[in-house]
Amino acid sequence: MKDPYETLGIARTASADEIRTAYRKLAKKLHPDLNPGDKQSEERFKEVAAANDLLSDAEKRRRFDAGEIDASGAEKAPPNARYYRDYAAEGGHPYDSQSAYGDFAQGDDLFAELLRRRAEQTRRRPGADLYYELPVDFLDAVNGATKTITLPQGGTLDVTIPAGVEDGQTLRLRGKGAPSPGEGPPGDALVQIAVKPHRYFTREGDDILLDLPISVKEAALGAEVRTPTTTGSVMLKIPKRSNTGDMLRLRAKGVKTRGRAGDELVRLKVMMPTEAEPELDAFLADWKPAGAYDPRKEM
Amino acid sequence: MINEREFLQRARLDRPTLTVWLEEEWLIPGHFADELSFTDMDLARANLIRDLRDNMGVNHEGLGVVLHLLDQMHSLRRALAAALEDARGGRSSPDL
Repeated sequence: MKDPYETLGIARTASADEIRTAYRKLAKKLHPDLNPGDKQSEERFKEVAAANDLLSDAEKRRRFDAGEIDASGAEKAPPNARYYRDYAAEGGHPYDSQSAYGDFAQGDDLFAELLRRRAEQTRRRPGADLYYELPVDFLDAVNGATKTITLPQGGTLDVTIPAGVEDGQTLRLRGKGAPSPGEGPPGDALVQIAVKPHRYFTREGDDILLDLPISVKEAALGAEVRTPTTTGSVMLKIPKRSNTGDMLRLRAKGVKTRGRAGDELVRLKVMMPTEAEPELDAFLADWKPAGAYDPRKEM
Repeated sequence: MINEREFLQRARLDRPTLTVWLEEEWLIPGHFADELSFTDMDLARANLIRDLRDNMGVNHEGLGVVLHLLDQMHSLRRALAAALEDARGGRSSPDL
C-alpha cells in the first residue's frame, strides 16, 4: 500500500482544502468513466480514492499520522463495484447516441452500411428476461392451478401452472419480461417452480406414492378402506392377508400430463393397536397357526 | 430490475434530486406496471453523476454537457469496435 500523501502528491502538512483540490484534480484525470479504454485507470483511481478517504477524514488522518492504522486499514470497498463504462460498452440502452457519427452512416460505403446495420439491431433488441421463483403446493403442481405473483418492482403477474409441473421446472411467459429499450419486443418472464412437499404424498415421475396405514384386522381379513388420492378419496380393496410393504396400484390416479396418466402406488403399512387389547393378546396366546407360518424362514 | 425506493437507497439519492435528474434526462429508467424500473446500468450512471458532481466539482450545467459527450463517446467506441471486428473478418475483437 502506497503512502496516501504520495498517492495524492501532497505534503504531510497539506490542509483539508489542498487534499480536496489534489483529489479532484486526479479524479478528473483518472476516473474510469472518463477513461473507458484504459484498464489501468481503475486501479490508479481506486488508490487515489482510498488515499482521499483516509486523508479527508480528520480522525482517520490523525490515526494514520500517529501510526495507529496503515494506509490499507482505512480502505473501504470501492464506491462503485462496476463503473458505468462496463455497461455502456453494450449497446441497446436508452443512453445510446448516434449524434457523434450520424454523418458517417449517410454514405453507401461499407462502414456506413455497417453502422446502419448496428443501429437497426440496437433498435430491435428485445427487452431483458426477468427471473422469478414461485413456490407451489404439491397438489397444485399435480392438478394445475393459476397463481398470481406480486412483483418486487410493483404490479402482478398471473401464472398458469400446468398440471404435472415438476420441481425446478421453468415456465416461460412470453412478453412478460422487461420492455425493450428500443422498439423491439419485451423480454420474457422465466418462472422457476419450487414444489412444496406434501404431508403424505410423494411423487416419482408420473406416479404418486402413498404409505397407507391399515389395522391388523384389515390386513388379516381384507377390507375396503378410504384412501386419499390427489383428486379426492376413493375406496381401495385390501386383499386378505396383506402385509406391510405390499404395493397396490390405483390406475390413472397419478399425475396426468399430455394425455398420459401415472398411477397412484399405495404401500401398505400394518399398524398394531397402540392401546392394550387383552382379547387380542388372549387369542394370540392360544393361537396355533394351521400352516407353516414362519415370517423369518428366508433369513 | 430495481424499483424507485430501492434505487434511491442504493444510489444514495433523495427524491427531489432524482426528479431533477429525470427531468434533465440524465437518467432514463424503464416503466414496468406503471412504476419506474431501474437497471444496474442506471445505478452505475447515478454513481457516475454523483462522482462528477461531488468529487470533481462539475456543476449542474456542466453535468449535462459531460453526460452528452460521454454518451457519444461510448457510441463511437462501439461503432469503432464493430468496424474493427468487421475489418478483422468478423472475428470477435479483443478488448480495446
